[in-house]
Amino acid sequence: MTESLILFQVIISLFLGGALLGLSLRNNRFARHVIFGSSMIGSVFTILFSIGIITGKPMTWMIPNVIPFFDLEIFVDGIAAFFLLLIGLVSFAVSVYSIGYSKEYHDKKRIKALGFLFNVFILSMVLVVASNNAFFFLLFWEVMSLTSFFLVIYDHDKEENLKSGMTYLVMTHLGTAFIFSSFLLCYIQTGSFSFDAFRQGSTGFPLFVKNIVFVFAFIGFGTKAGMVPLHVWLPKAHPSAPSNVSALMSAVMIKIGIYGMIRTIFDFSGFGTSPDFAWWGMLLVAFGSASAIIGVLYAVVERDIKRALAFSSIENIGIILIGLGLSVVFASFQLTTFAVLALVASMYHTINHAVFKGLLFMGAGSVVSVTHTKNIEHLGGLVKQMPWTSLLFLIGAISISGLPPFNGFISEWFTMQSLLSSYHIPSTILQISIAFASLPFALTIGIAAATFVKLFGMTFLAKSRSKYAINIKEVPRSMILGMSSLAVICILFGVVPYLGTSLITTAFHMSSQPSSPFDSIVIQNSSGTSFANLSMPVVVIMISSISIAIFGFIRALGGNTKKTKYGTWDCGFGSLNERMEYTPTSLSQPIRAVFKVFFKPHNKTEKESFGENPYLLKTIKIETAIKNVFEELLYTPIVSSFVFFFDKVRRLQTGKVNAYLLYIMITLVLLLLFVRLSNNA
Amino acid sequence: MPSGTMIIIGLVQVLVILGLAPLLTGMIRKTKARTQKRIGASIFQPYYDLLKLVRKDEVVSDQASWIFRVCPWVNFAAMATAAFFIPVFLVYTPFGMVGDLLLVVGLFALGRFFTMLAGLDVASSFGGLGSSREMMISALLEPALFLSIFVVAITYGGTNLSTMIGASSNTSFLPHPQILFAAIGLFIIILGETGRLPFDNPATHLELTMVHETMILEYSGKSLALMEWSQSIKQIILFTLMVNIFVPWGISSSILISSLAVGFLTFIGKISLFGIFVAISESSVAKWRLFRIPDLISIAIATSMIGIVLCYL
Repeated sequence: MTESLILFQVIISLFLGGALLGLSLRNNRFARHVIFGSSMIGSVFTILFSIGIITGKPMTWMIPNVIPFFDLEIFVDGIAAFFLLLIGLVSFAVSVYSIGYSKEYHDKKRIKALGFLFNVFILSMVLVVASNNAFFFLLFWEVMSLTSFFLVIYDHDKEENLKSGMTYLVMTHLGTAFIFSSFLLCYIQTGSFSFDAFRQGSTGFPLFVKNIVFVFAFIGFGTKAGMVPLHVWLPKAHPSAPSNVSALMSAVMIKIGIYGMIRTIFDFSGFGTSPDFAWWGMLLVAFGSASAIIGVLYAVVERDIKRALAFSSIENIGIILIGLGLSVVFASFQLTTFAVLALVASMYHTINHAVFKGLLFMGAGSVVSVTHTKNIEHLGGLVKQMPWTSLLFLIGAISISGLPPFNGFISEWFTMQSLLSSYHIPSTILQISIAFASLPFALTIGIAAATFVKLFGMTFLAKSRSKYAINIKEVPRSMILGMSSLAVICILFGVVPYLGTSLITTAFHMSSQPSSPFDSIVIQNSSGTSFANLSMPVVVIMISSISIAIFGFIRALGGNTKKTKYGTWDCGFGSLNERMEYTPTSLSQPIRAVFKVFFKPHNKTEKESFGENPYLLKTIKIETAIKNVFEELLYTPIVSSFVFFFDKVRRLQTGKVNAYLLYIMITLVLLLLFVRLSNNA
Repeated sequence: MPSGTMIIIGLVQVLVILGLAPLLTGMIRKTKARTQKRIGASIFQPYYDLLKLVRKDEVVSDQASWIFRVCPWVNFAAMATAAFFIPVFLVYTPFGMVGDLLLVVGLFALGRFFTMLAGLDVASSFGGLGSSREMMISALLEPALFLSIFVVAITYGGTNLSTMIGASSNTSFLPHPQILFAAIGLFIIILGETGRLPFDNPATHLELTMVHETMILEYSGKSLALMEWSQSIKQIILFTLMVNIFVPWGISSSILISSLAVGFLTFIGKISLFGIFVAISESSVAKWRLFRIPDLISIAIATSMIGIVLCYL
């Protein structure tokens, strides 16, 4: 207890120290090491601290009246510790990576600002998760939003980044407003801002209040998580930030939204195990499947490597929400076993996504830092020039595509099993709806694999398609090291799922299975026989022994044969060059064509031919663009109606003193009337 | 822990799959030749091809990276691992507690992922073309496959293949209407997954029609042998699943020698009949235009959805 408290204080002081040192040091190599070194050590302590809490007891810490009337309450239980672990793991890797990465900003920008914001950003996330009081939760939440906003506009010379920053700022405050309202409702009901009071009081809330609290929290935290249709900020803000920050934002910050949802659903809004709450789960499943499929569809046609990764974050948040929603549905019908299964699926995917998205964003950052372009149309052929980055990026890509034996497969397997378990729900309409939700889910997984074939293949394989991708060097060692630490976790959590499941079940105080690393995960059906089994360590042993056996077999059968290097087959025409290769746009063209209802692509072709013959072309120019449905149909009308309305409001401010006197007069009369009328009543 | 005999029978089932895979390909080719009034090569031709290929020297593109070189091995290892989970002539496989049908699907996807990358790796427009088409087809086949698995798993109580086939072998003829719909869906998916007409024409080398062949165009020698063999293994696994889930009768449910022999012979009979059926149906359709393929897959999705609704009604 006291040890964890001391550890917690050490964590806070390390991040604060890093931030303050960042402000005071000069711009040099030493500063880089100190700033990111201190956040690295802070992250290591965060990992140790959270493991201590998960395996031990929760920690409470209270300083009364820090700000008059508000007590700073810190409470770290298993759930919070799970998310702290996630923050610690990713920020450790990102801090190591940043030591090398921030060199790029040496001459151009002030590393001081980056270091300060970086440390404060991580610290604010730690404190949001740890706070046990609505006031401080919102305070740290705001710090988190603002520091990330400043990090998004860190490259402020580009106007595009400023625009994305503004979108982010508006959207995140919209979300905060909803969270605030949700907490305010709890405050009105309980008379206290403490989460402890919410916890105890929430069971007694009337049903409609519980529902409103949930819906507000769902919208508010959903905005932070990047749920469709509140996702518009995410694909703008994440690519604009420096890549190390994008990694933190995409891997960790959006998970804080998931944390908030779990807190409000399972902790305070008086979630009872009654079918009255099944619709909460269905709402989550519905928005989750929409996010998953819409996110991945935009990701697969995207050419900007970082924006594609950002869209894929929306997709993965969707998968997490599907698992969470199923868990709520199962819990509301008191199917505890399956509620645990679905929650494990959702949390497993949460930690997986944090790990591989962090890895992929850092990989993308490495590519961008050496090639100076985010457009994969201009890349290609990096696998030989950047062997380490490409290997690590490939590990991330395989993991996120949900392929065995990497970690993405495990969480997607759990989610699929949760979807299949929906046949236990005693309601036909819910069963069929969940079955229908599994269609977008499965489609998402299929398209996600295609997305990462494209991202990896087009960035790293074949010939370089432009001057950006020639004569480049591998990134510094610290960057490789940062990425490798997450790649190792990708493999560990894939090969030994026991690590993940036992972590989650201990953190959430649920009965755990499998009971040892080599046990198989078993899901039983109603007749007691096994519904599904999975034992990844054995699968990996099988794959590797088969590989060795077949290598020997082929060798024995065919003997020793030579390998000759020769040019790729060019149909005998000679001189295959990079302009004949498939480009990212042409690679995803079939998918764009199949989903044309969604993308609404508009193509423009301009041809110039020799003389009369339309087939002898001198030049041909093709333009293709897709429509962003959400921005054009949802946000643009809202924004323009606001602009229209406030344009009208502006006329009130005429600038004439007489007019303002009139306003004062009118207000006074109205107030007097109001007082008079309310006294009568 | 399963007994020693069980493990031996399990390994025999794996060897049957790995060993008979080229034979099935040979039989399909022979049948197709006959329907086209040709004599055709011997049904053992795929074995001769493999033997010849492993003895040949390889030519590797100078553009290729290590991805291209490991792809055949990853493919083969993935398909051969998948073979461990398939009950062939006995309803049970001791490896069933290691992995289930979803893992088999995942392993297929792993192989395909690497094949698509290898197609891109050699920097030819052919490879890109194949990968691009495969991206679309596989992205759409995945949900169709998952939904038909959904129907079968819920009806027979498990994605564990031993549970699934055990339950289906205990039933009388078509006891559940949804199974028929799942069968239609899965049949279409199998045609797509194994690259058969009308999805893909495995016999041509024409850029208008090919999908799978373009991605492996640069392979030669041992690598090509592995790619071809793993494709046949994938085919026989899918065919085995089809016959054992939907026509399970005759499959052995005990480890007595006599019933195992009956099970083995009926398995050979069923899978050959199914192969011949596929070959004949393939001979009677033309290759569809690429952008009509989604229509076919949506038929598979729709029938599986009907199956799911029927499960719950």
